Amino acid sequence: MSSDPYSPVVRDYFAKALHSGDLADAVTVDIAEQDIRLRLAATEEDGHIRALRFRAWGCPHVIAACECFCGDYEGRPIHSLSGFQASDIMRNLSVPVEKTGRILVLEDAVRSLGRVLCSDSAPQ
Amino acid sequence: MNGDLIYLDYAATTPIDARVAEHLFDCRRTRFANPSSNHIAGRESRASIELAARQLAALLNVDPKTLIWTSGATESDNLGIAGGARYRAHRGKHLVTMLTEHKAVTDVFRMLEKQGFDVTWLQPDENGYLDPATFAAALRADTQLASIMYVNNETGVIQDIEAIGSVCREHDILFHVDAAQAVGKILIDLHALPVDLLSLTGHKFYGPKGIGALYLAERPGCHVEPILFGGGQQRQIRPGTLPADLISGLGLAAEIAASRIESDLSHLTELRGTLWEGIRGIAGVLVNGDLERGFPGILSVSVDNVEGESLLLELEPICVATGSACNSQSQEPSYVLRALGRSDLLAQSAIRFSLGRPTQREDVEMAARRYRQAVARLRDLAPGAAA
Repeated sequence: MSSDPYSPVVRDYFAKALHSGDLADAVTVDIAEQDIRLRLAATEEDGHIRALRFRAWGCPHVIAACECFCGDYEGRPIHSLSGFQASDIMRNLSVPVEKTGRILVLEDAVRSLGRVLCSDSAPQ
Repeated sequence: MNGDLIYLDYAATTPIDARVAEHLFDCRRTRFANPSSNHIAGRESRASIELAARQLAALLNVDPKTLIWTSGATESDNLGIAGGARYRAHRGKHLVTMLTEHKAVTDVFRMLEKQGFDVTWLQPDENGYLDPATFAAALRADTQLASIMYVNNETGVIQDIEAIGSVCREHDILFHVDAAQAVGKILIDLHALPVDLLSLTGHKFYGPKGIGALYLAERPGCHVEPILFGGGQQRQIRPGTLPADLISGLGLAAEIAASRIESDLSHLTELRGTLWEGIRGIAGVLVNGDLERGFPGILSVSVDNVEGESLLLELEPICVATGSACNSQSQEPSYVLRALGRSDLLAQSAIRFSLGRPTQREDVEMAARRYRQAVARLRDLAPGAAA
């Protein structure tokens, strides 16, 4: 059993945070709960997510989870956002159970982003 | 230890001095006999303990007979506070302490509250300092014991022990001082200071872990009830076979400390100045405590709009403590910094840099640089940062 509270993948995502920042002409969602603040930004093309970016104020697990989400979901269909599960990311990143609430905030933000993108791309 | 690490957590513990380690292991081989035994080997162990008592007594300027060996500061605090309160309980059950004491003190008082004692918890000012007049105003006719720490482990603030102790003497109150962060680091003259009970531990001043002491002044009404039972050692105050090797190590560490306290303080003052100069320009950074009245080996800073846990990770390989130093598993903001009026977020962002003898100027320059970079990066990651 490791005494390191962060798995190697969390350390890697936290250190690189390649998807941090903003996007021009993007749909954005802001959320502030559980002592964390998140902003997700997405652009879409033909029903798919073209690019994702995040900003986060939170612990390393939250930042790593945001980076993991952005990397995984770029290029996927917009409707896939509704299937995002906090439990999947917690398992993949070995997030401790006491931080479940924080990752659920990300889940809320992702689903909210999905709803906004779907409504924006719906036929008028 | 990993060669890339920069260790700036000397308030948590110090590395054992190489001379102390060598002496300790030599004693472990040659002074293994039970010091209570009356044969030659036992007497040799006893002699090494008596030498260590003289070495520690010289550091504190006390009679060696006033020192009781314990397993460390936590046990000394327990024995001094619980033992002192119980010894004087027939006279009254009011006790006084501060909100910013170490858990080894606060938890003893909370236990005593459950046993029927009445505790007054004093709040320091925003810099962590306790005004002796505030202390005096809290005393009652039935106050029997007070405990105020010398150097705060999170902020480095040094309390006015002489003034507070004088108030205690005027009212015949047992005065306990948790000096875990002070002994071997600042000059302490217990012949001059009005202190009745004082807790210390070896590993905070380059001695071994697992050994400490409680100073018990020789004056009428100053005594403690034992909290451990099982033998008649140490005047039946603290039973148990004494570890001659650890005690000898502590004694040598005390002798070394006595010879270099002033040069250590000068070294630490210069280093802390360099560190603070390196980070003071960051917007929103503030000192927890008081640089003027603080021990120079500790610099605690908070910064706004930065999350503490991420800051700690971003600072690696700098080894520092967070604002939840003793509660790192719970992630709860430090109760000490909350008592100083810091918000949860500021308390949670606190980083305690604590410096020691081996610390070099390059170490604190690197720490300041990493701190600036870490704050800038985390702020850049946060919502609201400029694109």
